[in-house]
Amino acid sequence: MKLTTKQLTLCALLTATALALSYLENLFPLSLAIPIPGVKLGLANIVTVFALYAMGPGQALLILLARCFLGALFAGNMNALVFSLLGALSAMGAMVLLSRLRGLSIYGVSAGGAAAHNCGQIAAAMLTLGSSAPLYYLPVLLAVSLFTGGLTGLASACLFQGLRSTNLMKG
Amino acid sequence: MKPFPKLRPTAWDALVVLCVAALAVGLAVFQWRGGQSQALTAVVSVDGAEVDRFSPEDLLEHPRTYTGNGYTLTVVFGIDYEGPARNAMPPSGESGLRAAASDCPTQDCVHTGIIARSGQSIVCLPARIIIRLEGGRAEDGGVDAVLG
Repeated sequence: MKLTTKQLTLCALLTATALALSYLENLFPLSLAIPIPGVKLGLANIVTVFALYAMGPGQALLILLARCFLGALFAGNMNALVFSLLGALSAMGAMVLLSRLRGLSIYGVSAGGAAAHNCGQIAAAMLTLGSSAPLYYLPVLLAVSLFTGGLTGLASACLFQGLRSTNLMKG
Repeated sequence: MKPFPKLRPTAWDALVVLCVAALAVGLAVFQWRGGQSQALTAVVSVDGAEVDRFSPEDLLEHPRTYTGNGYTLTVVFGIDYEGPARNAMPPSGESGLRAAASDCPTQDCVHTGIIARSGQSIVCLPARIIIRLEGGRAEDGGVDAVLG
């Protein structure tokens, strides 16, 4: 994949933004209200949704991979990488497919991505623990994903609304 | 210019929501269905291998401690007063267990609280420890205990 300087710069900026959002959401631990592993707002998904529509699946995937690797590296927890990667790649795959359906808005794509993210993380937990026990949490995680997916969808919609009058989407 | 995504919710979005909700409800019914007519048993696995099996009442004598991946988890007896038995007279609850302490970084296992029904589990991902309840109480009108 050949990237222009502008595209490369935008990818780097969005990766940094995604990492900052991942850090920021630790300040709002959703797991205190819903105490099950893996529950979080998924604010970094706003960047993925934006990149998917504004830059295409290829660059969105690059940003996603960079965010997962750097996030695990900065956290000093490479064990979390498999969870992060499986969740993020599942979300990405689902959102790429859903974004091709013309009838869906950014809300449906985002909610579908959030649900797929949780499915990916539960699959990672099942692989890591060698047990189907984590599947017990999936119904709650899926229900929560409708809320978090709607929230990231709203944030992404506001972002695109704000960018309507700019030339960022050109080229 | 790349096409802008639809920024207002559509009827098709509701279909996605319905699909996710249906999956959640289906899984919940499958996962959270009632226990069998046998004693409730806690099964402890560390790194995918079963290391212990006990009745929650056994914890009344002394808590149990498990170690996995460098972290330690302590399990104690607990009673779930929020369960279906909360309306019973006199007030009662379901016997269960909870993770009282853990030195793992996430503390999700401790925050899970009391588990008291078959199928429920406490998962400590950093320690790779799973405590899962199996079996369950007898149905109403069923046998309470078999002696002899």
